[in-house]
Amino acid sequence: MKKLAIGLYGVLTVTLMIWAWYQAIYVAPNDAMQGEIFRIIYYHVPSAMVAFLFFAISLVGSIGYLASRRSHADRAQIFDAWALAGAEVGVVFCTVVLVTGPIWGRRAWGIWWTWDARLTTTLVLWLIYVSYLLLRRFAAGPQVQTLAAVLGIFGALDVPIVYMSNRWWRTQHPAPVFGGAPGSGMDKSMLPAFGWNVLAWLAWGIFILILRYHVERKSQKLAAQDAEAALYGVSSI
Amino acid sequence: MDPRAILDHEFMVAAYVATWVIQLSYLAWLGLKWRAQKRREARMSRNLR
Repeated sequence: MKKLAIGLYGVLTVTLMIWAWYQAIYVAPNDAMQGEIFRIIYYHVPSAMVAFLFFAISLVGSIGYLASRRSHADRAQIFDAWALAGAEVGVVFCTVVLVTGPIWGRRAWGIWWTWDARLTTTLVLWLIYVSYLLLRRFAAGPQVQTLAAVLGIFGALDVPIVYMSNRWWRTQHPAPVFGGAPGSGMDKSMLPAFGWNVLAWLAWGIFILILRYHVERKSQKLAAQDAEAALYGVSSI
Repeated sequence: MDPRAILDHEFMVAAYVATWVIQLSYLAWLGLKWRAQKRREARMSRNLR
């Protein structure tokens, strides 16, 4: 039953991805000013939205871990697995943002990169979460999860700064399309393609987030079994 | 065809391809990690028996 549900969700996600791609390439019109490169927005912005959401999941997981690590050890491990999954999948989506943005910028501005507020804060966000993952991967000892949770919380503080950066400061990055100044927004003919891509990337993101969570939970259980086997002098290797 | 439009098209394709390469590479890495865990689990249960 569980396998069937995962399979159905996978099929639904792939169908949604194909439909969203079709909408972005064949249905949405070219932008009057930018031409075809505007279509990069259908991958760039949804990826940023999903990255922010997953960093928020990592924040909740980190707070939950810190709150429950002494009183409910099992629950703390679940929180920790969500925190790690959210951070890692968030980094994947943030990488997409940092790669597709400069590709668009090279055609639109004539440069790959500039140190404006939106770009710099996004790079800082990515670096914080990459540090989080490196800490989880290479540090050892009983405090690693606690230190990672604290870093995860500090990393999430950068998310609202990234979001507000092109509202607070005059930046080279385009002004906010949604929720910006009066008159901002997207042409109605482009909205369906944008909406489908948000939905498709969200579905894809949730799919790999859940997969990553299960891999981490399995890893925790194997580590616990390993520790138990070592305690009783049984070789598990 | 207008050379600017051709260049626009190439940049758009590059962005879409880069996105899928990143996403599918991560999925593949996750799959490998999953398979390694399954093997380790099987080895552990064999040795504990």
